[in-house]
Amino acid sequence: MYLTRSEYDRGVSTFSPEGRLFQVEYAIEAIKLGSTAIGITCPSGVVLAVEKRLSSKLLVGESVEKIMEVDSHIGAAMSGLVADARTLVDHARVEAQNHRFTYDEAIGVEALTQGVCDLALSFGEGDEGDKKKRMSRPFGVALLLAGWDDLAGPQLFFSDPSGTFVKYKAKAIGAGSEGAQSNLSESYSSTLTLQEAEDLALSTLKQVMEEKINVDNVELATVTKDSGFKIKKKEEVKAVLERL
Amino acid sequence: MTSFVGETSFNPNSLLEIGSRKPNFQLANDLVDDGNFLIPNVQDPAFFCRTNFASASGDKDKEQLVKFAKGTTTLAFKFNEGIIVSVDSRSTMGAYIASQTVKKIIEINPFLLGTMAGGAADCSYWERNLGMQCRLYELRNKKRISVAAASKLLANTMNSYRGYGLSMGTMVTGWDETGPQLYYVDNDATRLHDNLFSVGSGSTYAYGVLDTFYRPDLTVDEAIDLGKRAIYHATHRDAYSGGINNLYHVQADGWKKIHSIDVNELHYEFRDEKNEMVA
Repeated sequence: MYLTRSEYDRGVSTFSPEGRLFQVEYAIEAIKLGSTAIGITCPSGVVLAVEKRLSSKLLVGESVEKIMEVDSHIGAAMSGLVADARTLVDHARVEAQNHRFTYDEAIGVEALTQGVCDLALSFGEGDEGDKKKRMSRPFGVALLLAGWDDLAGPQLFFSDPSGTFVKYKAKAIGAGSEGAQSNLSESYSSTLTLQEAEDLALSTLKQVMEEKINVDNVELATVTKDSGFKIKKKEEVKAVLERL
Repeated sequence: MTSFVGETSFNPNSLLEIGSRKPNFQLANDLVDDGNFLIPNVQDPAFFCRTNFASASGDKDKEQLVKFAKGTTTLAFKFNEGIIVSVDSRSTMGAYIASQTVKKIIEINPFLLGTMAGGAADCSYWERNLGMQCRLYELRNKKRISVAAASKLLANTMNSYRGYGLSMGTMVTGWDETGPQLYYVDNDATRLHDNLFSVGSGSTYAYGVLDTFYRPDLTVDEAIDLGKRAIYHATHRDAYSGGINNLYHVQADGWKKIHSIDVNELHYEFRDEKNEMVA
């Protein structure tokens, strides 16, 4: 793939003669090094599950945070450079609150994803005379944005460093995404209950994770119409794991 | 702030860029940052605002194109069982009564209340803006904001617009980790912490009743009665106050709305009470 790589992978805003932006492609590669994250939609809501790589026994697991609340009805799961994701999620939070302030209604999941992607795409912009500091590189992170729209119901969007976003019924990102995605394709049904979707998310993670799955090394969250975004407590994750 | 002079191109529609594909998020974001608010495209925006939009007592604003709806009685006091917030509902523009059904208690979030005195639009806009900042604080810090911090956010916003003609006299109340809290914030960026406040043209009448009957060990029913009574007497003597008495009780698990009573009903209630006492 990179045999023809030359000087063209240096600048973020220069196309190669074959029409590629190498830095963006490398950023997408960075996600494949990240821990696996899974999102599954079902009629009653959306489930997000991520693997937490706890590299040391001394690491406090609770401090590793890979699913974040964007607003009461939207959550985000991440894979890749988590520091970049925090910037994106904070931008998403501001976007969601600005929408509430301006329109007095909750932001739609697609509009929010669009807003996040606008930021993801703004790398390499601006000239030297520009007062504002611009981003020197693309974000090295992919997000799964899960939410409940009052009009459109449960929604799951995937966004990547190129600023592309696509809607999915079920999607896996990160290191184990290939195996996980094929598992999702086999087992997904549009009539899953929320509990079945939770089971599918964690059983898929279980298959692709290098370490043995337990309540400490996964995070699970749901978005439903009535309760909005909720991160599952350890006891609730334990209950799901016992069902597998 | 001075960097805006001559730099701002005023376009009321630019926030939405009507006709283009999507809203201008950058502009919407700018609303969050203090000092990035759209201001009139004139030589001296501060002077322009003072002479055209200032909120003045009496008829000092008669030359202004924009006359603010104002004239109010609002009060809040802390007691052992929480905080009572009680207000009237009249909005006046000079001698004209613009509305008798204004919601002067603003529900910032389930744990925070703000009151409205001065420019109605300024109060509701900036307290909604405060609500947004409080929500972002919650998301970023995973805990509710303290009343002290929330009132400071509002005071900081007011400070960054000092001299621009904003008109706002508000009490920010709520229950946080430190218990019930009550702050007064106004457009001069004054921020005060106390057990008892009353704001507006009828405040002097309300203070008279409150100072006479207030005790920290009031029961909840007594406190509600005091809040109601103080507003009634203010609406009776102050022509710029009236309408409905809205009353909220701030408790450990958030605020609760207690009642909305027409002050006309209160007049007869208190008259009967007085007649009984005399008899």
